[in-house]
Amino acid sequence: MIADNWTFVAAAYGLTAIVLLGYWRRLAKKERELEALSRRNAERRRAEPSSRPPLDESPLQQHPRP
Amino acid sequence: MVRTLGWLTVAGLLAGLVMAFGVAPREVTQGNVQRIMYVHVPLILASYLAFGVLALASIVYLIRRDAVADRVAHASGEVGVMFVGLGIATGSIWGKPTWGTWWTWDARLTSVAILFVMYLGYLLLRGTIDDPERAARYCAVLGIVAALDIPLVHFSVYWWRTLHQPPSLMKPGGFTGSSAILWPLLVNLLAFVLLYAYFVARRIRLLCAEAEAAA
Repeated sequence: MIADNWTFVAAAYGLTAIVLLGYWRRLAKKERELEALSRRNAERRRAEPSSRPPLDESPLQQHPRP
Repeated sequence: MVRTLGWLTVAGLLAGLVMAFGVAPREVTQGNVQRIMYVHVPLILASYLAFGVLALASIVYLIRRDAVADRVAHASGEVGVMFVGLGIATGSIWGKPTWGTWWTWDARLTSVAILFVMYLGYLLLRGTIDDPERAARYCAVLGIVAALDIPLVHFSVYWWRTLHQPPSLMKPGGFTGSSAILWPLLVNLLAFVLLYAYFVARRIRLLCAEAEAAA
């Protein structure tokens, strides 16, 4: 019979817990980033129609192609 | 739905820990170090599941060119690589006190290392091709070819003389050990299958959101 080697047991379970928690946190972080990005995109889309210059002031109208 | 799956997974993992440390007996020859089996074996079996799902989703993608199938394959591959990497690491930690070495180039260990490298390559291939359709197509082919290594890994202990013990579960004649060892192993296997499903569901959701943001 060999010794119990609890250090090895702790290392195996500890490593597994660290990697799995790390992956879970990475997924959560990516989700938060994407949510922020989609919120920004939605705000930009909402702001775009009002910030667009009227048709007669558009750059194309001011500088017509020859 | 994903949140419920997450809580089920947490409950399963906690039950698995209780079974592995509170219910399972101290093994006669190896001592308490054998308790590594309750995390090592479920990790490897869940990675087989992950790569099996990846291969099936890849076949579906090649037939239907369905983006959902590609996302399932991608998510499953990522989780599978993590599981098999952890399976190799925990096996190595278990090997040191029982075999006297962290690593040996026997058939089981070598074939599982090849499996790990192939799926790592699968993920790298996805990252290196800019065109998503082409990346999905190439990866689908690689995912199917790499799956051929799974039976090689599993049966390597029968086909060659190895230091690694034969499978505990999924072997001809079924499990032959004590039920005091079998039940903790099954509870942990279920917990890791739930964990796999939870991670894959979240990763697929993320891939869909990424595709929407890129569009």
